[in-house]
Amino acid sequence: MVSLDHLTKRFGNQTAVDAISFEIPAGQIVGFLGPNGAGKSTTLKMLTGMIEPTSGTASICGFDLKRDLMEVKRRVGFVPESGAVFESLTGLEYLIMVAALYGIPQNAARQRIGQFIAFFDLGFDTLTEKLLGAYSKGMRRKVVITAALLHNPPVVFFDEPLDGLDANAAVGFKALIQTLAREGKTIVYSSHILDVVERVCHRVIIIDKGSVILDGKPDELVAAHNSGTLEKLFTQLTGGAELERRAEDFAKTFRA
Amino acid sequence: MSTSAPASPPVPSDERVPSTEKTLRRLFLTLFLRGRSSRGLKKQTAPKSVGRKLGLTLGLYALVGLSALAFLKQSIFALTVYLHAMTFVFLGMFVASSAGEVLFNNQEADILLHRPISPRALLWAKVRVLVEVSLWLACAFNLAGFFTGAAGSHGNWRFPFVHIVSTALEALFCTGCVVMIYQLCLRWFGRERLEGLMTTAQVVISIAAVLSGQLLPQLIFRANRVVSFGEKTWWIALLPPAWFAGFDDALSGSAARSSWLLAALALIATTMVLWIAFGKLARDYETGLQKLSESVPTRAHKKGRRRWIEVLVDLPPLRWWLRDSVARASFLLTTAYLARDRDVKLRVYPAVAPFAVLPIIFMARGFGPGSSGTREFGIAFVSAFLGLIPMLALSTLQYSQQWQASDIFHAAPIPGPAALCHGARRAMLCFLALPGAVIMALIVWLSDRHSPQVLMLLPGLIAVPVYALVPNLGGQGLPLSLPAEEAKSAGRGLTMMVAMFSSMALSGLALLAWSTGWFQWFLLIETIVAVSLYMIMRRSLANVRWATLE
Repeated sequence: MVSLDHLTKRFGNQTAVDAISFEIPAGQIVGFLGPNGAGKSTTLKMLTGMIEPTSGTASICGFDLKRDLMEVKRRVGFVPESGAVFESLTGLEYLIMVAALYGIPQNAARQRIGQFIAFFDLGFDTLTEKLLGAYSKGMRRKVVITAALLHNPPVVFFDEPLDGLDANAAVGFKALIQTLAREGKTIVYSSHILDVVERVCHRVIIIDKGSVILDGKPDELVAAHNSGTLEKLFTQLTGGAELERRAEDFAKTFRA
Repeated sequence: MSTSAPASPPVPSDERVPSTEKTLRRLFLTLFLRGRSSRGLKKQTAPKSVGRKLGLTLGLYALVGLSALAFLKQSIFALTVYLHAMTFVFLGMFVASSAGEVLFNNQEADILLHRPISPRALLWAKVRVLVEVSLWLACAFNLAGFFTGAAGSHGNWRFPFVHIVSTALEALFCTGCVVMIYQLCLRWFGRERLEGLMTTAQVVISIAAVLSGQLLPQLIFRANRVVSFGEKTWWIALLPPAWFAGFDDALSGSAARSSWLLAALALIATTMVLWIAFGKLARDYETGLQKLSESVPTRAHKKGRRRWIEVLVDLPPLRWWLRDSVARASFLLTTAYLARDRDVKLRVYPAVAPFAVLPIIFMARGFGPGSSGTREFGIAFVSAFLGLIPMLALSTLQYSQQWQASDIFHAAPIPGPAALCHGARRAMLCFLALPGAVIMALIVWLSDRHSPQVLMLLPGLIAVPVYALVPNLGGQGLPLSLPAEEAKSAGRGLTMMVAMFSSMALSGLALLAWSTGWFQWFLLIETIVAVSLYMIMRRSLANVRWATLE
């Protein structure tokens, strides 16, 4: 469903993503992890056609990212980390606009939006009366998630989707992606909340400095490295082992 | 698990689906009319705000356009040179200030680039909105011109129709030029320098437009409103507004051979620009948007090296002037935004430009023979207008696209906005008013080194600190604290109008005191009044406490 072959992105002399390759079949939820600046968002942006790879190839649903970009975009849903929206539109105006870009007629779009409103427990008045600029971060995130799923894409990329969501919405969201995966959708889930990843994802890919350093099932990886939890495994692999000492040094600054 | 490629997501086919072009055009027009950010607003109150302001702007343009009535007895060519020159200025300013935000919006990449939209459709939708709004502005300004051209002594019924076409061509030419410049910048200089270049290009285009807007009417009126294109005035063919004026003259005026030549130039230039901007370079547009969405690491300063402004504020006299740490921080923040932020630069410098240029033009007119009274008034007027520069700059500095970040001022342990306002005001005085005063004093002194008239600069200079405090009255004018969309406020315009009249009154009083020999007494009284007003305003500002954030 999603296939990357030596996908690389360089910014000048700096290599952000260094020849990464993997395949994700349909119906799988993949946790895409890495420390800040590891190249996660850059990879997701390449796979959604937002930035052009420097070299390597990728295909989504059999369509090549370079040759069939429009076909790829039609089959992809994306929740960016920024959660950016057009703030001076109402939620409903925004979602209708997004639906139109995917060729979904207004009535069908309203029907689907209604289902999402019910799922996320959003008030219809809020959606029609308030501009997105007036929404709380969590409400805005719900609209962005709705916008990503509105056209029923077979592949969905989530970049920090839980950011701003309250506990109930987060639980609901986890249930949603598991349901979507059961229906055959491919989910790529990038997050720093590792216990959620551990519970939800079928597979974990960890990248650091632009390269894949680990790929496998979460429980198998944890057992193989004898680390107890995914979080501990992650810090072991990505140089976070000295965090406690660094925290102590930081606190010392204030004591002085 | 299956890895076979699924078909495109199913879409019901019995309903009409709006085209991508139509959806995008509606989106960008809505965003343009409502502005791009609107925290804490409801649909009923917010969306119309920019639209209403646009209505006021159109009304203002129509009023300014009444000046075309002065050309009732002139030829069609003279009238349309004036109309197209002014339209060119207005459109140039509008397109230059809007295009960067509309064409290359950083946040837009995350919203639109992963959706199935072709770069050409995206570019055309944006350009269509720019041209549409440009045409509204152009038509408002040209309303009186349509009448003048049809009913004037050389007019005829064809004029309004022909002029609409030539104005539309001019709008396309203007927009095409700006789009072409951006795309060429992108192609030649790359992403790293694109933003800096865009800012510089926009500031230069806007200032040039304002300057030519002030100078062009002067040139035309100096030529007794007689403009013609001939062997001695061949240079007219170099000016784009003259091409479009030629179009009008060829089809509804004298139909002279030279006018046909200019009309042909208008058509060829517009076609060429559109072909390059939207044909040749359209593919680069998506690359441009992609590059703006890339988070390229910026080159770090050399370790331990400080910015020049940080060094400057640590040296006397700025160190003495900025003893308060909050005022100092606000001073540094203001200078950083004046130097770096595209949005702030585009608002502040073009707004200040006419106030810097207008008095110089006025003063220059007084340097001719037999114009001593005009000259003295001109000098006093120059210095009185100097106070308006920091005042206007401070009132525009309070608007920013990052206005939400100003919440930090409220969260910090400071009792009210006074110290922040002082820092911003001092930055404006230091980097706008002081250089302005030095330049104006030099111009006056160099024009006549032995003249005591240079003293006429003093009344205005004494008033500068008072004018600079006006935007902060009642704790208003906190830097970078209001949404950019609110920048075109009618209330602010009224304050500026009152300030302009007061500065003209000050110049008149100074001239009266000069001519009656009471100038020293006038300066003494003015100083006492200015110091008293300054103290009262500062005390009032110091007593202001934070208002609740809604």
